[in-house]
Amino acid sequence: MEKQFNPFSLNDKNIVISGAASGIGRQCAITCSKMGAKLILLDLNEAGLKETLQLVENGSEHFSAVINLTDYNKVEEIISFAVEKMGRISGLLNCAGISTTLPLKNAKPETLDKFFQINVYTAYFLTQTVCKMGNFSKEGGSIVFFSSAAGQYGESGKSIYGMTKGALYSCAKSLACELSRKNIRVNSISPGVIVTPINQNLPHIADPELRKQTEALHLLGLGNPEDIANACVYLLSDASRWVTGSNLVVDGGYTTR
Amino acid sequence: MEQKFFDLLKEAIEIEDHDVNMEDQFREYPEWSSLAYLSIIAMLDEEYDVQIEEAEFKKLRTVGDLYNAIQK
Ligand SMILES: NC(=O)c1ccc[n+]([C@@H]2O[C@H](COP(=O)([O-])OP(=O)(O)OC[C@H]3O[C@@H](n4cnc5c(N)ncnc54)[C@H](O)[C@@H]3O)[C@@H](O)[C@H]2O)c1
Repeated sequence: MEKQFNPFSLNDKNIVISGAASGIGRQCAITCSKMGAKLILLDLNEAGLKETLQLVENGSEHFSAVINLTDYNKVEEIISFAVEKMGRISGLLNCAGISTTLPLKNAKPETLDKFFQINVYTAYFLTQTVCKMGNFSKEGGSIVFFSSAAGQYGESGKSIYGMTKGALYSCAKSLACELSRKNIRVNSISPGVIVTPINQNLPHIADPELRKQTEALHLLGLGNPEDIANACVYLLSDASRWVTGSNLVVDGGYTTR
Repeated sequence: MEQKFFDLLKEAIEIEDHDVNMEDQFREYPEWSSLAYLSIIAMLDEEYDVQIEEAEFKKLRTVGDLYNAIQK
């Protein structure tokens, strides 16, 4: 029988996912495994990572490492080790990140340092390592940065988070230019609000009144991690082979009005 | 010393599939690009503490020319 037509297949692709122990990253791991990918899962949350490994398909085929992504030397070690074990990398989802709702008057330089370190630097340097000679597939592949609706649209208290997400949006554009030579596509994705551990204690979700307002801003209601994972499958797969430097908005209509 | 220089050069230009030799015209490598030029400048500076102006760099043709530049 002829193989079923599936432009979204991730068969034979090694995909790195940071932030895979929770929320959207975990769902991306589950969905990508169902699409045939072999995974390299990174997160600092050991228990969460273990749980993810139990939820993905063919759990024993994948590689995972507990790591703080700000430990750049260790990132290099782990990626080299994973490539040696599994072969070269075809895709990267830079999903790890943190959030906050913080008014201007409460921000300190250290706050910005922390947010830029974790949201911007770790994604940038993980990308650098994955693209290092010998690590990325010679056929090319796809890299996704996790921006956010907050990276291009304003919300009170979201200046710091929004700045980091805006940085990732622009990062994808220039890296798309730089890496096209190697047939590596670079895009960003901008999710609207999806309830996960990143925001469940922040006012716009934790306060019932504010949550109602947040929901109302999304024409299709709040999203699920699956909504983002499915979009990532598209960006990682050959179905998007002509897509680079773009920002995929997946936000239930939040930024339409 | 020579081998280390070749390795660093290969990394800077991102040459994976072939060797480099002293007589090679490095701009003719298929991997050559304007970014490779910037990577070489950075590599020479970081690894050998050698700074080369653009005008001067233009005069360098071969891998051997680059190698001579770090002997100074
Ligand atoms: N949930 C949303 O509404 C939403 C909206 C837009 C964008 N995003 C973005 O999507 C991404 C995933 O968010 P989520 O909702 O799944 O959050 P989450 O909190 O559920 O997951 C984030 C994961 O990143 C990991 N992480 C954080 N810092 C790390 C570090 N230094 N080293 C290693 N791992 C680290 C955490 O341990 C966690 O497992 C984030 O980049 C977030 O900014 C989320």
